[in-house]
Amino acid sequence: MSLPVGDLLIERRRASPLVRRRRSRPRAGEPAAALALGTAALAVGGGASLGAALLAERPAPRRRGASDAAAPDVRGLYAAAGLLALSVLLDSAIEHYRGGYRNPGMYTPLAASAVTLSAAISDAAGGGGGKQAVYAAAAGVGAVGVGFHLFNIFKRPGRLNWANLFYAAPIGAPAALSLAGVLGLAAGAARRGWRGAGRKLAALCALGLAGTVGEAGLLHFRGAFQNPFMWIPVSLPPVGAALLAKAAAENRPTPRPLTRGWLMLTAAIGLGGAGFHIFGVSRAMGGWRNWRQNMVDGPPIPAPPAFTALAVAGLAALALLPSETA
Amino acid sequence: MTPETPRARDGRAPDVFTPGGFVPMAGFPEREPVDFAIVGAGAGGATLAAKLAEAGFSVVVFDAGPFWRPLDEFASDELEQQKLYWTDPRITGGDDPIALGGNNSGRGVGGSTIHFSMISLRFRPEWFKARSRLGYAVDWPISYEEIRPYYAEAEQALKVAGPVRYPWGPLRGPYPYRPHEVNAPGLVLGRGAEKLGVKWCATPLATVSAPRGKSPPCVYRGFCNFGCSTNAKQSALVVWIPRALKAGAEVRDMAMVTRIEIDRDGLASGVHYVREGESRFQRARNVVVAGYAIETPRLLLNSACPQFPDGLANASGLVGTHLMTHASPGVWATFEEEIRWYKGPPNMAVCEHWNYADEGKDFAGGYAFMSQGPLPMAWAQTVATSRGLWGPALRQQMLRYNHTAGFAPVAETEPRPQNRVELAEETDAYGLKIPKVVFGYSGNDRALQRHSLRFMSEMLEAAGGRDLWTSTDTSHLLGTCRMGDDPRTSVVNADGRTWDIANLWICDGSLFPTSGGVNPSLTIQALACRIGERIKTLARRGELACAP
Amino acid sequence: MARGYPGYDVLAKWRTPSFDEKTREVVRRRIAQPPARRFFTGPEQRLVEAIVARLIPQPDRAEPIPLAAMLDAFMADGRGQGYRNEAMPPLEQALRVGLAAIEAEARTRFGRSFAEAAAEDQDAVLRAAQSGEVDRAAWRGMDPATFFREALLKITAGLYYAHPAAWSEIGFGGPASPRGYVRLGLDESDPWEAREAAP
Repeated sequence: MSLPVGDLLIERRRASPLVRRRRSRPRAGEPAAALALGTAALAVGGGASLGAALLAERPAPRRRGASDAAAPDVRGLYAAAGLLALSVLLDSAIEHYRGGYRNPGMYTPLAASAVTLSAAISDAAGGGGGKQAVYAAAAGVGAVGVGFHLFNIFKRPGRLNWANLFYAAPIGAPAALSLAGVLGLAAGAARRGWRGAGRKLAALCALGLAGTVGEAGLLHFRGAFQNPFMWIPVSLPPVGAALLAKAAAENRPTPRPLTRGWLMLTAAIGLGGAGFHIFGVSRAMGGWRNWRQNMVDGPPIPAPPAFTALAVAGLAALALLPSETA
Repeated sequence: MTPETPRARDGRAPDVFTPGGFVPMAGFPEREPVDFAIVGAGAGGATLAAKLAEAGFSVVVFDAGPFWRPLDEFASDELEQQKLYWTDPRITGGDDPIALGGNNSGRGVGGSTIHFSMISLRFRPEWFKARSRLGYAVDWPISYEEIRPYYAEAEQALKVAGPVRYPWGPLRGPYPYRPHEVNAPGLVLGRGAEKLGVKWCATPLATVSAPRGKSPPCVYRGFCNFGCSTNAKQSALVVWIPRALKAGAEVRDMAMVTRIEIDRDGLASGVHYVREGESRFQRARNVVVAGYAIETPRLLLNSACPQFPDGLANASGLVGTHLMTHASPGVWATFEEEIRWYKGPPNMAVCEHWNYADEGKDFAGGYAFMSQGPLPMAWAQTVATSRGLWGPALRQQMLRYNHTAGFAPVAETEPRPQNRVELAEETDAYGLKIPKVVFGYSGNDRALQRHSLRFMSEMLEAAGGRDLWTSTDTSHLLGTCRMGDDPRTSVVNADGRTWDIANLWICDGSLFPTSGGVNPSLTIQALACRIGERIKTLARRGELACAP
Repeated sequence: MARGYPGYDVLAKWRTPSFDEKTREVVRRRIAQPPARRFFTGPEQRLVEAIVARLIPQPDRAEPIPLAAMLDAFMADGRGQGYRNEAMPPLEQALRVGLAAIEAEARTRFGRSFAEAAAEDQDAVLRAAQSGEVDRAAWRGMDPATFFREALLKITAGLYYAHPAAWSEIGFGGPASPRGYVRLGLDESDPWEAREAAP
């Protein structure tokens, strides 16, 4: 007896005795709700960022006794915020290009990070009184982005599993934008004499470094640590994060040359990482000629400088810790 | 373009990682016996060549086909790439004739691993004792525990890219590389599996998901069954042959072995082969036949001589018998979404549920099934032959190409003596009798396939597919020189050593006493690793026979 | 529901990283003027042209894919799959016998050469060969259904979809080396893939 070949009729029948069937789930794809939310996010987030940027042109009123044009440590915080924003701008532009900008909300981080970058550059140069609204918008957009990215993971078959952590929207990436915003806000607060700025910032940077280590670790795990240098971002920066956390906990006026040195090393690792990623793209199939595939599929060049940004912010935080002369 | 002349000669062999490049290669004089002459440079032969050369033996490995240069000559074109297949004349017959050629038979250094789908699965442990533990077929002469370290070795050698936690089988370490991103047809399987409440995962594949040495990661071009021009695919050509060459083995490409010579003492003394139109002879202390499940028994039978009138290693009469394949009846459906299944390896998601579940079956054995991704020429041929479509209806059906997804199993078939490879009377260009492959399904085989079609159909429908239809196909060739404990019921022992001729070995898919419900390539390579170790041990103990 | 891919041409990617030199060489030969007839006789070629025109009609193409010429070249170059069903003679012989038998069936049924019969009559002959409901005498022991399926339809269908024009027709991505694909998911495509016509 031969099997039926050609057309197989599937009769409407009761649930199969073969396996217990699950309740129906909505189909994968871009649901209307997500599109609506994304459009709203773009409208609100993009609008807020741009609006804040425009509004912030007026210098903020200066408190009596507050420090003048940005002190070095505050400048460092703005530089860190700017570098993180630049990293997010380039990274999200590439990754959302991969996603085809299928949801209008995917333009939001480009707008928010561009505006944040511009604000941070201006504030680092000492202009204006700190564009708090811009940074607040960035923090908000980043948080919303984390939400969208989580949704992207959970809507896929398998939901929260290794495969989706590897290949679905990265959870950590929008958080970098929030971090940029928070650093900008912190810089403004520090300039106005924020109490305990040093220890709070040190703790924040330690956390930020830990998160960046996590993201690098996840993606280098995905890359099977095929090059021994891939162990660097998961072994050295964590020590820097721990040293920063220790500094925050102790909150004492000590010189801390080790912490300082380790943070500078971490800053260098961020730049070195970008260099390695450039090499990685060049040695993928087709190299730079195949940039439309390799810049998107290959190691993300704008990502490692997040370490540099956080290290710079960490150094600024150290400078803000109580000094012996305080 | 297929090369006209051999490339591995005069002290050098092609460097597959450098366009036009070469690596140094040893050269053994024909008149001096080498330790091992291996016939066939595929999953069995190339692996064993590397292991033996690395153990210090002198090795020459022959292949009838070319020493391919993937970076230079693998085009992105199905018709051009038919050059990878064994297309010498063969006859197929029986109640359920098996399609040969590109379906399962490669020709060239790397063998069928040049065009395989890279699925790298282990046998379920109980299958090695299918008769004692599961009550069907026969037992292998080795246990899972004995082969387990070699599975691990083979997976490491291939840097298999698989899930962090594999859902089935005994607890095991992570695969060497991480799984690939599952493509749309694979996500269809995932969606369907979740609806039906069974597990699924990314298929463990022997193509890299990150750089490895000079191999860039897979670019998801989808021409895997037609040769990987990226060199991400970890074929025997790219993994074992370079190791073998580095360890001092010689490869002779475009060298068709026509006969194994037997000396007065009934031992193998070397191989006759044809290269560049000349008949040549290489002396050897041991001969390993690794031509896969058709050419291996064919060579043994064609090497019949006065001492062995029924063919070599055939006192049992079993050479060529107990041929098995994997049935692969496909279920196909149309989807609203764009599937575009030409992207990525053809089988990116797998469900092994029915390999490990023993309840709810009206048959013995198991099957795994995978998502599919055929290219246009192959797909058109499936559509045309399975649905009998021609005229405007064929073009209409093909317009749905980007909205089609489907599943096909690797479905176990039983070992039965009437399924066999025999010699036909017709001869080929070398004057050798051509093989006739006779195959038919048993009742159990059909019950298993019906079950698979029902289950896969249900899953495909649950995933949103409509207008379902089925096709028939097979994959793989196994079992024609099976291993065993008893010379009356097997051709070789657990070491791949033939019972009748102490220096004649077999190392390929012919060894399998049962077919299992998974693709055989990983098991073939693991067996070859084990045979390599066993030969080392036997040599140390002075138990290797030699022809002077 | 299949809407086609208007404006999509795989060959537009000729100079992009989707094509490498080896593939260009192969495709160049594929789309070039096919060589002159080498395998079929003149009458056989005319018959083959009529048959493939029914197997895969191309009324929409100003320049039809030259299936008959491709089949002749395929056979002349010995490109068959090598193995054959035990019920079939070697492919070369099978084709000549089968073609002659189809011609004989047309003459028996309609009193004219296959090539001169009306389209629906040609289809009737082909359907009859496909189902085996033909006068077996001309088939010399060969099974008509197996011949139709394995030697005629399978090869012709394969050759049609081996041509770039057919790749473009069905929206196949085409050659892909060194550049493969980035977006692999449901309803996802790369900018260098085909765009389906809007519903």
